[in-house]
Amino acid sequence: MTVDVSSAGMPSGLSPRQPQPNPPVNADSILASVDAFRREMTTDIHEEWVEAIYGEASRLAERSVTRPDQKARFDLDRTIDRAVTSRWLGFPIMLILFTFILWLTISGANVPSQMIANVLLGMVHPWLKGVAAAISMPWWLDGLLIDGVYLATAWVVSVMLPPMAIFFPLFTLLEDLGYLPRVAFNLDAIFRKAGAHGKQSMSMMMGFGCNAAGVIATRIIDSPRERLIAIITNNFALCNGRWPTQILIATIFVGGLVPAQLAGLISASAVVGIALLGVLLTFVVSWALSRTVLKGEVSTFSLELPPYRPPRVLQTIYTSLIDRTIYVLWRAIVFAAPAGAVIWLVANIHIGGPSIAEWMIQWMNPFGLLLGLNGVILLAYIVAIPANEIVIPTILMLTVLTAGVSGAGEGAGVMFDPGSTNATAALFTAGGWTLLTAVNLMLFSLMHNPCSTTIYTIYKETGSVKWTALASLMPVAMGFVVTFTVAQVWRLFA
Amino acid sequence: MESIFSQPLFWVFVFALLFAAAFWPGRGPFWRRLQKNQRQQRVLIEDGLKHVYTFRQREIPVTVESLAGAVELNRSQASELIAEMEESALLHYGESGLELTPKGEALALHVVRAHRLWETHLADTTGLAPTDWHSQADRKEHSLSPAEVDALAASLGHPVFDPHGDPIPTEKGVDAPPSFALTEAKPNQTLRIVHLEDEPPVVFAQLVAEGLHPGMAIQLIEKTDQFLHFVGEGEERRLAPQLAANVSVRPVRNHNGVMLGGAQPLNSLRVGEEAKVVAVSRACRGPERRRLMDLGILPGAAIEVAMPSPMNDPVAYRVRDTLIALRNDQAQMILIERT
Repeated sequence: MTVDVSSAGMPSGLSPRQPQPNPPVNADSILASVDAFRREMTTDIHEEWVEAIYGEASRLAERSVTRPDQKARFDLDRTIDRAVTSRWLGFPIMLILFTFILWLTISGANVPSQMIANVLLGMVHPWLKGVAAAISMPWWLDGLLIDGVYLATAWVVSVMLPPMAIFFPLFTLLEDLGYLPRVAFNLDAIFRKAGAHGKQSMSMMMGFGCNAAGVIATRIIDSPRERLIAIITNNFALCNGRWPTQILIATIFVGGLVPAQLAGLISASAVVGIALLGVLLTFVVSWALSRTVLKGEVSTFSLELPPYRPPRVLQTIYTSLIDRTIYVLWRAIVFAAPAGAVIWLVANIHIGGPSIAEWMIQWMNPFGLLLGLNGVILLAYIVAIPANEIVIPTILMLTVLTAGVSGAGEGAGVMFDPGSTNATAALFTAGGWTLLTAVNLMLFSLMHNPCSTTIYTIYKETGSVKWTALASLMPVAMGFVVTFTVAQVWRLFA
Repeated sequence: MESIFSQPLFWVFVFALLFAAAFWPGRGPFWRRLQKNQRQQRVLIEDGLKHVYTFRQREIPVTVESLAGAVELNRSQASELIAEMEESALLHYGESGLELTPKGEALALHVVRAHRLWETHLADTTGLAPTDWHSQADRKEHSLSPAEVDALAASLGHPVFDPHGDPIPTEKGVDAPPSFALTEAKPNQTLRIVHLEDEPPVVFAQLVAEGLHPGMAIQLIEKTDQFLHFVGEGEERRLAPQLAANVSVRPVRNHNGVMLGGAQPLNSLRVGEEAKVVAVSRACRGPERRRLMDLGILPGAAIEVAMPSPMNDPVAYRVRDTLIALRNDQAQMILIERT
């Protein structure tokens, strides 16, 4: 495109209206005639301004801008658009791409996760313990700092970093390519019926990677009401921190119900079922919110479909690692460190015999059982609020602590990984878990408060205590109601 | 040892505490009760004034019955209310029944102004549905002070009409441009809707459901005893005379022809067809309208249907070399002329 400034000329077209016949000039008479004139006008003065400005701009552009022939590019865009938004191909393409990204994230993260865990947990942790022993650090300081703060932080890094380092760049590539707005375009009809914006599909997909990043991704929604809906419901997108929990529990309890050759398929369907339930809940809750508490918020719709462009791979990887991965990880670490201290302290401070953890578990157990869960699970969800990733290790540690399993675990307040699915299953059995516990844990993992990183992000994005509280408490309340109902119905029939 | 409960001083202290708690100025239950009653009384008086004001404007005589009906009281309660208003020099009996004193008229104008400004505020800065505006403003009008109302008017850019087309009073009074009911219009006349009656709400809801809104240009085609037949925003519409009586219109003076004739809603365009935007319907207000203007959808802009989404809503349009998806309910409010 070339611009020839000399031919632009003087602006024209902004000619004033016919002057009003009002010879005696004083302030009051001018104001009176202005007021009368405003009442006569059938259109809005500001709109006429905008119209005139656009008109002038396009007049200038027409005279001084010449365009090279862009037809080939345009036709290619059109062909791609026809395919990815077509009635028959649109949805399958989306489904395949998204499943592929999720699969790559979940299965691809295992190897690097294991490697980081080997270094941070298998090598650095014993070495730190050794140093502490060498300088004869008091046992409580050693426990608090190394078994509490360090271990929780290292754990969060090893399980959080690899999936995010895979998911975010892939997602950003699709974004950069120009494909994601087409997804919003395809899905808007469904979201519209729930009172939401098609772009919520993008923040929701991001939520499958990480809810905190998903909440940030709602910035693309420029309509206040729909953006709040997307923020509040993002928690129903099963995040990376919860997929491993779902897969572990489904493998042990649901897969164990059927013959070995079917186990993989059945447990995978159970996990997918939970994720789909999350999607369904997103729509139901969006629908309810848009008709009740968010009714008065401003709602507008606009969706631009930018031209496709080849993705800038290196730049994308760089920015997605810095902007998203490191950012989210840093926030998680900031919250994980104190939580590690809390986890160690509740297991090691004793009040008249039992530790605080045991007291709390004992106290919450009746309530937990009413929900088809138990006290251990509830306490784990309270102390492991910084990251869903450390819920299972905390549950295992607390189970060993309370069920008195000998020969397992690393000691009070020390999170551990039993090493194999069978060993984990044995610990759950020792903790008195049943199929109901497993099903309700899967449901509660989907419907509970967002992690502290997400809660903090919601507060930063909305700037409102009210919406943050709603987004945090509503899912827990729903989780309590659902698990309670399931437990009662289950006990009625089983 | 003597129990504390037998000490008279203790009981004096307890009663003093209870008394203080109940009658604490501004806080205690007694004061709250009193304030609530005062608030309710204020609402009744202001609603009564509004009723007298609107009836006098339309030159309908005001009676105790009509006032009782307007504020939902029985006849004797209404008489008491009138007596109280007379005492505060807001009302007096004139030649043709109840009339407002200058003080009463000023207060009535303030309430009407607060009501219409609040409706404008709801229409322009919130996402509430048109049918919710009136009831919310009916509550809000009683709690705004004149200073707050002025601040509200300033923040809205001193609007002249509310979203129903009613003029917003200023300190000088109301200046309603002349208009007449749609039922009195003549066939082939080009008119602009200037006002939709928002009371009773049922009628207003029905008019909104018919797609009518102030600012809409219409052309009457035919008038019979059963219905009025007219064209508005590219659609042929029929309205029963009972409903049409609640629509006020004004002849279009500087009629430039674009709103009528060939103007059709954007969603009537098929894939690949091109058109020119001639107007954005007045029903599209506030942030929604500004959003469309931001996107360059303004009279004169060329627009072309690029592709529908898999479920046909939204549809992508090409405007000013950009692909923009619009939902069908938005496209309906953009009026175009085929090129």
